[in-house]
Amino acid sequence: MRARRWRALLWLGPSLLLIAGVVFYPAVALVRSSLGRYSVTGLFQGSVGVANYARLLEQPALSTVLVNTATWVTAVVGVTVAVSLALAQLLHQDFPGRTLVRWALIVPWAASLIMTSKLFVWIYDYYFGVLNHLLTSVGVLSRPIDWLGDDATVMGAMIAVGIFVSLPFTTYVLLAGLAGIPGEVYEAARVDGASAWTTYRLVTLPLLQPALLVAVVLNVIYVFNSFPIVWTLNDRNPGFAHDTMITYMYKIAFKSALRDVGLAAALGVVNVALILLAVFAYLKTIRWDDGAPAAGRA
Amino acid sequence: MRQRLRTLFVLTAAVGLALVACNRGSGPALTVVIAEYSKDHTRAFWQNLAEQYTKQGGPKVDLRIIDWNSIDQQVSTMIQNNQPPDVLNLNSFSSYARDGLLYPADDVVSPNTRDDFLDAFARGGQYQGKLYGLPILSSARAFFYNRELFERAGIAAPPKTWDEFVETAKKVQALDAGIVGYALPLGPEEAQAEWSIWMWNGGGDWKAGDAWAINSEPNVRTLGFLADLANRHRVTQVNPGRTNRTDGAFQLFKDGKVGMVMGFSPLAKQLDAEGKVKYGVAEMPTTQPRAITLGVEDYLMAFKKKDNREAVKKFLDLYYQPDNITKWITAEGFLPVTKSGLERMRANAALTPYLDALPNARLVPTTDPAWDRVKLDVQQNIGLAVQPGGNPKEVLDQLQRNAVAAAAAR
Repeated sequence: MRARRWRALLWLGPSLLLIAGVVFYPAVALVRSSLGRYSVTGLFQGSVGVANYARLLEQPALSTVLVNTATWVTAVVGVTVAVSLALAQLLHQDFPGRTLVRWALIVPWAASLIMTSKLFVWIYDYYFGVLNHLLTSVGVLSRPIDWLGDDATVMGAMIAVGIFVSLPFTTYVLLAGLAGIPGEVYEAARVDGASAWTTYRLVTLPLLQPALLVAVVLNVIYVFNSFPIVWTLNDRNPGFAHDTMITYMYKIAFKSALRDVGLAAALGVVNVALILLAVFAYLKTIRWDDGAPAAGRA
Repeated sequence: MRQRLRTLFVLTAAVGLALVACNRGSGPALTVVIAEYSKDHTRAFWQNLAEQYTKQGGPKVDLRIIDWNSIDQQVSTMIQNNQPPDVLNLNSFSSYARDGLLYPADDVVSPNTRDDFLDAFARGGQYQGKLYGLPILSSARAFFYNRELFERAGIAAPPKTWDEFVETAKKVQALDAGIVGYALPLGPEEAQAEWSIWMWNGGGDWKAGDAWAINSEPNVRTLGFLADLANRHRVTQVNPGRTNRTDGAFQLFKDGKVGMVMGFSPLAKQLDAEGKVKYGVAEMPTTQPRAITLGVEDYLMAFKKKDNREAVKKFLDLYYQPDNITKWITAEGFLPVTKSGLERMRANAALTPYLDALPNARLVPTTDPAWDRVKLDVQQNIGLAVQPGGNPKEVLDQLQRNAVAAAAAR
């Protein structure tokens, strides 16, 4: 018995070491940093207890950034999932060229986020951008809009890019979910005379729930933690008016007058707590653990 | 049994390899961190210098070329982890000197090297009377104008005063719907540079004596003037408070859409290479008896570490050999920081306007450790003043309050 346990540990060892190294150690280091005071240069100057957390609450920009983050995450994940449901349904059908379309959908996912963001910076550009050119030449706009410089449009412009890059992954997760639904249930629905919409609502959606769950939870985490899009599209704007918690954290550490690693680390800890809380709340509301809809767990 | 032996073997091998990998990093190699000034020249030059150094009997060099966007973060991380580099290149130094991390210059460069520094740059590297920030290269801003647009607008010469400047900008702006009179970049990338030039030519300064004077009366007037350019005269590009330098103002100028911009020698190099825009270079328009330009000095600094002084000294003296430093500065399109370099670069006529401007160029107060915060604060906030409805006085008052607080804090 003991020998078996040893052998198991031997095999698990490398991955346990890996987890300790890349998950556990950074987490401990983050918490430790959040309790320290650092010079502008990054030099450790002693421990300050929870003072960094208290200072975090006094930051005037915090409420704006929190609202931005909530908007960013809900809008990107919400629209992404809705559009992906439709896209997955489409790609689930058999039609000529389906393989090609499926491959094409991977492209925005495979491209580097920084590159995609830079590309959109130029698409949105006031003077050179394709978008303004297109909209003014067909007469939708009478004059160009500074998409990334106008307070009214920055967040929307960023959300659009966020959705664009999140669609592939989400669609594929849902597509896999659709592929896992057995054909008999649809046959049964047809025999019962259900309309297409009723079938979708009462058969497909409930059976898709496990995949939907994965898609939403992973997307919430990815989108919340997304740095390159907000950073790249918002880099021209002064202050914190359009930052999310992640870019705010980076600015606190390196790009604002605060220039404070300890304060940024405290925000980092808060970010982890927030994301765990959000995921937990989501799982609670869909009653993931106490007898979720039986069909969904089939 | 055999299986277990094999497992044991694999594990031992893995641990062994890991140890070997660790060991390579902790050798006596000299860690040199250099900012990437250009993709083409930076690595090539420093790689070569490192090889030369090792060949002359120095230790191996662990050379790290880091782009400007992430260098602050990476250096901060190195220092947090107690693994500072031996030699670091950056645009600030005084906070590092204040934190007691650096060797004073006398410890790490020979007297010959030290005496060769141009006086202004040697002064710009001092913290509390001692030289810590060794000048690595410099640049000076100049006023660029588009000759073709000037001709079309019937403008004979570049403006010398601010009134002339406004008139000129209006004429250029009126040429065509897509044409901009003056490209004003007050977005976060380099706002402090643009602001410094206008501020000095408006008669103000960052400090009065030892105290910060960001919200002085001339400065409020100057920022009001810039806000008027944007919102009253409407002679700038859209949202100047939200335009960065490189991909905003310079890009527009390179595309021939802009009448005037504050440029520097690397921009001239790019314009020459592209050959699309015919441009002229002049002095800044000013309200002062004499036009003032901004000089920018970047630094090399040597970190105090156990037993590294001799190795660092050898490396720095090698860089400051006139052949080496001039070769690099020329390749990157920047300006000299040494007397010998200034002489050598005189041969290039294209550089004359910048070299002439260099002795009169003013530097931002990098010698004050509070500057590292003030600079970031200005970058992040001054743009707000030139947005519609922005309040220049309020913005400057806030910057001043923060600067005073930063100077008081440690």
